[in-house]
Amino acid sequence: MSTTNGWIGKSVKRVEDKRFITGKGNYTDDIVLPHQTYASFVRSPYAHARILSVDTSAAAAMPGVVAIFTGKDVAEVNGVPCGWLLHFKNGDPMKEPKHPLLVTDKALHVGDAVAIVIAESAAEAKDAAEVVMVDYEELPAVTDAFKATQAGASLVHDDAPNNICFDWTLGNPIEEVDAAIAASAHVTTLEFVNQRMVPNAIEPRAYNSSYEASTDKYTLYTSTQNPHLIRLLMCAFVLGIPEHKVRVVGPDVGGGFGSKIFHYTEEALLTWATRKIGRPVKWTSTRSESFLLDAHGRDHITKADMGFDKDGKITALRVKTYANLGAYLSTFASCVPTYLHGTLLQGLYTTPKINVDVTAVFTNTCVVDAYRGAGRPEATYLLERLVDLAALELNTDPVELRMKNFIPPFDGITQPGYQTQVALQYDSGNYQGVLKKGIEMLGYADLRKAQKEAAANGRLLGIGISTYIEACGIAPSAVVGSLGARAGLYEVGQVRIQPTGKVSVYTGAHSHGQGHETTFAQVVADKFGIPMEDVEIIHGDSEAVAFGMGTYGSRSLAVGGSAIVKSIEKIIEKGKKIAAHKLEASEGDVNFENGKFTVKGTDKSVSFGDVALTAYVPHHYPKDLEPGLDFSSFYDPANFTYPFGCHIAVVEVEKETGKVHLKRFVAVDDVGNIINPMIVEGQIHGGLAQGIGQALFEGADYDENGQLTNGSYMDYCMPRADDFPMFETASQVTPCPHNPLGVKGAGEAGAIGSTPAVVNAVIDALWSAGHKVKDIRMPMTSERVWRAMQS
Amino acid sequence: MQLNGKHTVNAAPSVIWKMLMDTDVLAKIVPGISRLEKTGDNTYKSILDIKLGPVNSSFTGNLQMEDISEEKGFALKVQQHSKIGNANAAIKIDLLPLGENQTEIQFDGQAKMTGLLASMGQRVMGGVSATLTKQFFANLEKELDKQ
Repeated sequence: MSTTNGWIGKSVKRVEDKRFITGKGNYTDDIVLPHQTYASFVRSPYAHARILSVDTSAAAAMPGVVAIFTGKDVAEVNGVPCGWLLHFKNGDPMKEPKHPLLVTDKALHVGDAVAIVIAESAAEAKDAAEVVMVDYEELPAVTDAFKATQAGASLVHDDAPNNICFDWTLGNPIEEVDAAIAASAHVTTLEFVNQRMVPNAIEPRAYNSSYEASTDKYTLYTSTQNPHLIRLLMCAFVLGIPEHKVRVVGPDVGGGFGSKIFHYTEEALLTWATRKIGRPVKWTSTRSESFLLDAHGRDHITKADMGFDKDGKITALRVKTYANLGAYLSTFASCVPTYLHGTLLQGLYTTPKINVDVTAVFTNTCVVDAYRGAGRPEATYLLERLVDLAALELNTDPVELRMKNFIPPFDGITQPGYQTQVALQYDSGNYQGVLKKGIEMLGYADLRKAQKEAAANGRLLGIGISTYIEACGIAPSAVVGSLGARAGLYEVGQVRIQPTGKVSVYTGAHSHGQGHETTFAQVVADKFGIPMEDVEIIHGDSEAVAFGMGTYGSRSLAVGGSAIVKSIEKIIEKGKKIAAHKLEASEGDVNFENGKFTVKGTDKSVSFGDVALTAYVPHHYPKDLEPGLDFSSFYDPANFTYPFGCHIAVVEVEKETGKVHLKRFVAVDDVGNIINPMIVEGQIHGGLAQGIGQALFEGADYDENGQLTNGSYMDYCMPRADDFPMFETASQVTPCPHNPLGVKGAGEAGAIGSTPAVVNAVIDALWSAGHKVKDIRMPMTSERVWRAMQS
Repeated sequence: MQLNGKHTVNAAPSVIWKMLMDTDVLAKIVPGISRLEKTGDNTYKSILDIKLGPVNSSFTGNLQMEDISEEKGFALKVQQHSKIGNANAAIKIDLLPLGENQTEIQFDGQAKMTGLLASMGQRVMGGVSATLTKQFFANLEKELDKQ
């Protein structure tokens, strides 16, 4: 299996782009079924309100209305579940209030659905929804995760005292960490907000659900990152319908960034409603609804202390975080601020004592869940802000300070993995390498000189460094199971060789823009030594693909790709048996290379295509061998994968206005082996745009009444191409030692490393002019930076 | 959302005052008003049809005048409901004499919005309210010219 035939490592253009750029993509909203109906929702305009009455009579009389359902109609149906159970420190299970498909008594956030109106057209549904009369009694709202836990705050759920869903801790005992901090020569303390982000996928969420009574079968088209997971959650936990009677299809999906992992109430409600009315029901979210309802990201309030000894070695890290979960528990909401955040607080450093304490809090806001990076950007932000700030406070160079504290390089094969203080074992790493490469690309020493000269001339130049590690390739099932996951996190890959030698590959990983159809085909074509055109990648359909856990956590290639490789290995093994029979050789003497089975020490060979045909036309065939050439494999990873890298931002801050100009951005990422460098670079670019977007532009703003005040592109500032310099990217390759492709994952890296680099650069610029500020709240608008300079 | 500003009109405070206290006049000068009913002392029921950029809806609700200080000013309380969200506003209105036949009308207050109205944010709603304010004063001047 060590042979490669040239496809791996090539920047092959994305095969799926032909249909996307010619307008031939097939998205959920493009699908119109016979007898189609359309849904619109009646949504609460209040963040917290008692529902006194709902009057649907006027709406029911509107033209085109087919059916209207309210919370009472679905009161018996379960709510959507949370996929990860955590426990309070005292052992009690987390508070898991019902997340109903429609609310009956109380609306808990703006946009909470009170009724669904189904009509012959989307416009008629919307018109009728507008005349459903709901009588609300507005109640006080809580939006801030810390304030919500304080005495006197109004309760989101009556059975969650102080609005606390759970509290949680990880790492060394707090007494040890407190003692280590107290004994430190220097302590850097930072209090900050990692603000709430709106995911902003270009395709809004859309669902189209239908039911065929004659076969008792449902089909749900859904804009999702994981169709099988949606089927599992919806069938087993919400509607109690048998899985084999439900087909879930994720057609082309226009981005998700995490927000389309989760099982949303609308998916289950439409599936419930289609059976009631006997016609297909479709709903496509408006952009306003996307802002209000697509699970948001981040939203942490944190205080952290990092101790240093007199030589600048990190002695301890203590972290207290209030994590905002929103009004309900979204599918993976509980694991994001805990096992995807606390476990990464070792970072790249040898910190001997770490304690992290997280309080997860309900508020009257949109649910919060995984958003590109999910917990790991929050951990990286915390660590890298602390380290850069410590360098400023200690008047030492941030590169030197990092080098002094980095974990030494280890390959995970001849040297063991690195055991952290926070539960993980890193697979392989060379952290010095990426930082060294980063500062070389930047011309670091010269830039520091330029910074001094600029400061002397009254200009504010700043250099911000960030070195990150993330846990990807999610995830070893036994490990996550022991931590509370209610699912396994393996992946499925089936490889079917057609009689003509063409290959159909069925993968449970489901692309929502990552280019699986290209990368996976490269792997398969490479391993079989055949043209890429001979490989078709099929994904996103629960009836075509045996099972799958989907695409998130930078897992598709590391886990899904590995499952495919396992099946490829089985096919080659069987192919060797067939070839040995054909070539009248012993199986042990047959080699497979460059698309040919050969017999060692002879010039006898048979092609891959011939073997495939023989498998399906088994006239002359080994006695004890089944016909056919088709294998399916489940791959459960042995460990997470740990990509890492170094991001450096150079900014100039306008003294008079506080405006931040991002002058350069260098990113050196080590994502293990690379199948398609162009796609990896594209993923890094996209991640950088989102990470820098968080630092400079984006952030959801709720007012004290729980109203989202920037729920449109007029007020929510999305980054644009001209906000960025050309990114300077490079790769280092430290292969993953525990999966067959040696890959680690690249989807989230850009969003994880970049945010602190930009903030650090602005802080550095301000210090160069004597403004010794510790923090500027993100997004760092001109006003905030200017105010920081005046303080 | 903050609502404040001032506008100078060429009439004495007493003239302006009389107009603002007259339901028929108010019905002509409040932008988008399709119905204005006096429901009690200093309270009105209103229906407003507003079509302005993203705001395209019918608003029903109450207007209430409080803290009335004859020819000097009052506090206006507004509660409006619509399909696209609700708006509650409290605005202090002052009439300041500037010379004999001139008045500066000052207003200062806050509006609380919900639903789509809120999520459209200050940049959209700020523009909408500025346009409505402008229309109000333009209508007021038109009515003044007629008198």
